[in-house]
Amino acid sequence: MKFIRPNDMEGLFQNIEENNDRKYFLAGGTDINIQIKNGTIKDAEIIYIKHLKELNGIQIEKDDIVIGATTNISDILNSKIIKENLPFFQRSLESFASPLLQTSATIGGNIANGSPTADVVPLLLVLDAKLEIVSKSQIRIIELTNFFTGYKTNIMKANELIRSIIIPKKAENGFDTFFEKVGSRKSLMISKISLAGLKNISHNKFTTIKLAAGSLNEYPRRLYKIEEYLTDKSLLEIDFLKVEELLNEEITPITDLRSDKEYRYHVCVNLIRTFLNE
Amino acid sequence: MKISFKLNNKNVTIDTDPMRRLLDIIREDFHLTGTKEGCGEGECGACTVLLDGKPVTSCLVNAVHIDGKEVMTSEGIAQEPLGKLLIDCFDETNAVQCGFCFPGFLVTSYHYVKTDGEKNLDKIKKALSGNICRCTGYQKIFESVMMACERN
Amino acid sequence: MKCVRKFDARPKLDGSWKFIDDYSYPEMIHGQLLYSKCHHGYIKKINFPENYDLSEFTIVSSKDIPGENIVPEPVCDQPFMMDKEVMHYGQGILGIAHPDRKLLLKFIKETKIEYEELPAITDIKECLNNPDNVFGRELTIDHRTGKKPDPHWDHHHKIYYTPHQEQAYLEPQGMIAVWQPKDKIMFVRATCQCPFFVKEGVEAIMGDSIKEAIIETSEGIGGAFGGKEDFPSLLAGITSLLSYKSGKPVKIVLEREDDIRITTKRHPSRIEIETWTDPEAKKIMKIDIDYRLDAGAYQTLSPVVLARGVLHSISGYSIPDTFIRGRLFRSNTPSNGAFRGFGAPQAFAAMEAHIDEIAAGMNINPYKFRKKNIFKIGDEFPTTQPILENHLSDCLERVIEKSNYFQKLEEFKEWNKTHKDKKGIGISIGYHGGGYTGNGEKVLNSEVKVVIEKDATVKIFVANTDMGQGAHTTLAQMFFEAIDHPREKCLVQLPNTSKTPNSGPTVASRTIYIIGNLLRKFAFKIKDELEFENLEEYVTSNQNEFPREFRMNFVQDPSVVFDDENYVGVAYKDYSWAACVTEIYFLADTYQIELTKSWNVMDIGKVVNQKIATGQAEGGVLQGLAYGLCEFFYKSGYGRMHGFTDYALPTTLDLPEIDVEFIHTDSPIAKGLGEIPMDFPAPSVRNAFHNATGIFIDEYPLVPERIFKHLKKI
Repeated sequence: MKFIRPNDMEGLFQNIEENNDRKYFLAGGTDINIQIKNGTIKDAEIIYIKHLKELNGIQIEKDDIVIGATTNISDILNSKIIKENLPFFQRSLESFASPLLQTSATIGGNIANGSPTADVVPLLLVLDAKLEIVSKSQIRIIELTNFFTGYKTNIMKANELIRSIIIPKKAENGFDTFFEKVGSRKSLMISKISLAGLKNISHNKFTTIKLAAGSLNEYPRRLYKIEEYLTDKSLLEIDFLKVEELLNEEITPITDLRSDKEYRYHVCVNLIRTFLNE
Repeated sequence: MKISFKLNNKNVTIDTDPMRRLLDIIREDFHLTGTKEGCGEGECGACTVLLDGKPVTSCLVNAVHIDGKEVMTSEGIAQEPLGKLLIDCFDETNAVQCGFCFPGFLVTSYHYVKTDGEKNLDKIKKALSGNICRCTGYQKIFESVMMACERN
Repeated sequence: MKCVRKFDARPKLDGSWKFIDDYSYPEMIHGQLLYSKCHHGYIKKINFPENYDLSEFTIVSSKDIPGENIVPEPVCDQPFMMDKEVMHYGQGILGIAHPDRKLLLKFIKETKIEYEELPAITDIKECLNNPDNVFGRELTIDHRTGKKPDPHWDHHHKIYYTPHQEQAYLEPQGMIAVWQPKDKIMFVRATCQCPFFVKEGVEAIMGDSIKEAIIETSEGIGGAFGGKEDFPSLLAGITSLLSYKSGKPVKIVLEREDDIRITTKRHPSRIEIETWTDPEAKKIMKIDIDYRLDAGAYQTLSPVVLARGVLHSISGYSIPDTFIRGRLFRSNTPSNGAFRGFGAPQAFAAMEAHIDEIAAGMNINPYKFRKKNIFKIGDEFPTTQPILENHLSDCLERVIEKSNYFQKLEEFKEWNKTHKDKKGIGISIGYHGGGYTGNGEKVLNSEVKVVIEKDATVKIFVANTDMGQGAHTTLAQMFFEAIDHPREKCLVQLPNTSKTPNSGPTVASRTIYIIGNLLRKFAFKIKDELEFENLEEYVTSNQNEFPREFRMNFVQDPSVVFDDENYVGVAYKDYSWAACVTEIYFLADTYQIELTKSWNVMDIGKVVNQKIATGQAEGGVLQGLAYGLCEFFYKSGYGRMHGFTDYALPTTLDLPEIDVEFIHTDSPIAKGLGEIPMDFPAPSVRNAFHNATGIFIDEYPLVPERIFKHLKKI
């Protein structure tokens, strides 16, 4: 295991530019330390980034809230900016892991680790978050929804990292919000299902619907087909059998150590129903 | 790697593997064995310490994380007036059973009483929800922290 | 009923109280177990990783054992380390030690074992449904009348299942062995419940190569709940062997993941109950119970668990025609062992569920049906032991009253009419016989020792450990309160087998009940013998008599006569009684049950220390509720669990408000408290779920996936 602590962003870029081998960024350490312990990460290069100020902090930039990748979950929970602009996002993060892990875990780490159960991702998906991905020579902004490519894989190249998460300031404005995280207990919980939703209604019809599910696919995903089906319909016009059918196309729940696929699927159906009815 | 930090209000420097766990540094290098390893993966809170005033599970914190920072363990907190008050309350309610998780509960409770301190059961439950206790059923722990909030 | 504070609370809080991993010895090295990850089979080859200097490691296998490769247990059938055949996942193959713990763990992780696999039983139902898997002695309690059931009686026949439960003591298992070749003494520092069991274990494995094993516990024992009753003997054996071979002190502290995978758990059960009930009298007239436990790969102490389970399996009801049959079943999982309740929680989980089943079938309220059948003075246990008090019924009545059960029943019924989510309320009762079963306490013949020093300090020597239950505080309190001696001058000493007489193991809710009451008597006896009014004054004026040692043995009440062969007679002299009402909230979207409130009334006799007793009871009730609600390993296949991530221990946000009340506290006797809180609450959750939804679930725990499956079936 090789360890690198770059002095600044320039040093960081130099390191990741030079070395394309197996490398991992260490920020909060709540995931990586467990993976090192159980042997999933070995003989790798660890690059420490928690001290780099460019990657940390919460700011308003024009119409966006920009959250540095190594910002701790607890900082988001305590942020005035977030409280004023994204109260639903803030409130929903309270169920993130546990208060003790919130102080170490980072928002960028939760995304980059790529777990299907990542707590922040479904929320960020319905908030239309973007990622600022940087390398030595390039900055590119991509939609979070296009970031993941499979189980624990994403579109980033070996010389890139997430610098920040960009959320439109008004992402929650005017929406009814919904977030449900289902697990075997209320804290220290790894979700079996999570569902985030935004909706607004005009003349009894859903004018906008945004839905994202966690723990139901190889990575958390927006449920676009369902969104499309529901948009411009009133509650009475919705055929829930159709919703179930579409959901079958959108999610691929599995039976694993924590739950069953049938259970996961049906709870997801129930939650969508409740979200629409509330 | 040279790591300098403040441990229980004292400046210290060690030369160690930057990936070494804070838990091991505290226990092995400084013989402060109040910080316990219950699970080694952040799921029980027995190894909770304060890092720059915030409670963290020291089994998932690396040496590099603490460079230039302040670490407080149960031993340090026990010397603070608020720590003493909390210990009085835990003692008075006979809340402590096996005690393995209690240094962790002391640290997290200290943080709660210091930063929020409202005598509010729901808030206290939430603040302590990363610490697992298998003996007590938690109720006497809540009672103790409520008592400390009131007396502080 | 004073609330003396715990003598060890402050040092536990500031971190100065030492648990096993906090001890260190000069030149100490670290040990771990290399255990099997195959359920059943032969080992073809062990491949150690390259790039390690093997000469730095001390490695022991069963071939290195100078004594016997059998752990001393009620049934001696479990080897310390695998002999020829791997019998279960998690079986010790090698003990390995090295000065660097991290490197040792890495070395073990990288060691690969090639197996020739044999068929294995790892599924609980596969184990318990197949009579071919039966091993060990079958127990029966036969109280049949031989009469045929009346054809008008209601017949109910059901099978109930309970899962493994993990003790989840927060401090993992650990042991330090220090070989002292000069004196041929193996000194062992242990986190354990039973120092004398550990002593037997070490002396068995070391044989004639040592003169004596001396066991001293760590100051702190970080929770045990039965989990540190017999496994420490095995661990101490291997640790001692490593110390003997390396010549150095060896410490083994298990990683949590390993602890969960290889140590003993609560026995899974399959309990089949058949009843015939008179519909007019609402009385159960006949019962047939088939009580089965999955013992794991070896019997070890399972026959004792089976005995207690069978003896509690009828719950608290008087039934004239009774047949109970208990059997152990073999599987390829680690041998299951002691866990708070010791067979009784399984018994109540089944019988208390069944009572609601009958009541529902006969359309009678579950409380009223219980009242019709509950033990009353003049009734008998199935063993013919007479019921001498109505305290169980008193507990039930009190808990119904204080929980406003009938009012809630109506309220919830109304509320449920208009809500998708449902509220429910459920009852359960239970009891626990104090101390060893039957003639056990007679055989144990516990001895305690007291030394009174020149400064009138009273040192109490007992082998019973304080693993969090506050035993050392309460035991001292029972002594000093009897003779009105100052608290700070009466201290229980850290158990050490070379200084402490064998007052028996810290199990079976016997510490306060047997040892505490003995110490109280002992205090009076010393007072009578020395004829003092005030011990301090007496010691001051009779300095030449001190220090002085006193010893006393436990004498079993002559009424306790038990026929071990036929299971007839007095199984336990005193029973603790309890009843519970639990309220739940059922979430229709997610099929989850939330516990909202649990009312618990117990009769544990005299309450020595109100706060200690309440705290212990609250913790036990939460374990019991969680046993019914959420605690289990999700998959049947053993060995896949990783640690606390996969085992849902309740957090601060998951517990209901738990109300505990003790009644009949004017009793002269302090009865058992340790286990009863765990015995009875689980079925109240299941019964409350039925009240909320009209659905009976007969497999514990009531996890949402299971509820979902039942709802889909309907």
